[in-house]
Amino acid sequence: MKQSPSLKVILNGLWKDQPIFSMVLGICSSLAVSNKVENAIAMGAGVTFALIGTAVLIAALRKLIPGRVRMIAYMIIIATFVIVVDRVLKAMFPDISRAIGPYVGLIITNCILMGRAEAFYVSNGVGLSLLDAIFNGLGYTYTLVLVSVIRELLGFGTILGLQVMPLSFNKWVIMAMAPGAFFVVALFIWVTRTLAKMDPDKQGGGM
Amino acid sequence: MKDKIMMLVFVLVLGTILTAILVAVNYYTTPVISRNEQREIQAGILQALGIPFPEEEAQQVFAGSVQARQAGGKDYYVAGEGAVAFAYAGSGLWGPINGIVALNPDLSTLKGVTILHQEETPGLGSRITEQAYLDTFRGKDFTSGLKLTPPGKAKAANEIDAITGATLSPKAFLQILNANLAASVPAIREGEKQ
Repeated sequence: MKQSPSLKVILNGLWKDQPIFSMVLGICSSLAVSNKVENAIAMGAGVTFALIGTAVLIAALRKLIPGRVRMIAYMIIIATFVIVVDRVLKAMFPDISRAIGPYVGLIITNCILMGRAEAFYVSNGVGLSLLDAIFNGLGYTYTLVLVSVIRELLGFGTILGLQVMPLSFNKWVIMAMAPGAFFVVALFIWVTRTLAKMDPDKQGGGM
Repeated sequence: MKDKIMMLVFVLVLGTILTAILVAVNYYTTPVISRNEQREIQAGILQALGIPFPEEEAQQVFAGSVQARQAGGKDYYVAGEGAVAFAYAGSGLWGPINGIVALNPDLSTLKGVTILHQEETPGLGSRITEQAYLDTFRGKDFTSGLKLTPPGKAKAANEIDAITGATLSPKAFLQILNANLAASVPAIREGEKQ
């Protein structure tokens, strides 16, 4: 059965070209803000929003953007949406904004945005780009949420701030810190790549 | 040549439009953000002074029960019975720590301490933010400097227990408090005499 282009885009975003385990993009932020589920959801939503804005604008302007300045154009478009996300978080959700701090600003350097802009939005229509942005954003978000569920459960004994483990549970401090993220994200990439039967030798990685 | 001019025009137009968007967003969010920050500081001051308040009404309670004053260029806040609070800041073990410290009306013992921001190790150093730990600062005499003792050993009026497994964060925290108290309290004493 032949897949329609939109279905292909959806599946690619969620599984086959999933940003974190397949393209290994956006790793910095997934390591940094996945210590609590709340932060992971906020970060996922922020990245998804910035990705959608970037995708629509770049796809709409793709015929106008001169080839030689396209990178600069991506950069300022991405930066604009990221600053919007940062300001809105600060205004509406000050607690979450404080918890994820500088990492919102660092969405600008998140390779998912730059990578998708160069690989997809600049050569596809607005509709497909929008779809691609939504599902890449979801792919990123669900990974972050999965990682953060494990880290918050073991590191704090809670999920979304609710006590889940018994109070006598000995918290794994390492899970709340950066090294815990490396372990969990690495395990996640291992498991999902094994399930997807992906051969890393045949694929390039990113940052 | 024409290409180059087009390129320049494109960059200029795109830059202008995006800047306009940012200006608009900034215009609408700035008042909300500064209100949030102010509310956070006010809530911190009320908490340090031990004045109970419902989460949403921090501003009203603050306006009704706390007076802002200034002495020697330092802002401080006075509650009805003469207790004083002011903001402190300094370097913790891993990053900046800041918050509000409140003094009893005698201006030589602590009434309460709150931490608004810290970046200590989660689960270890960050335990300095636990209310139970901050409560151990209540009534401590800081005139000769607060002193850190091994966990469970604090006896004298200026001694504070360390936290098991995280000695350095409380140590840095006490240094910050001592430095800020030494720098600000004399001016506040002068200010309150008048």
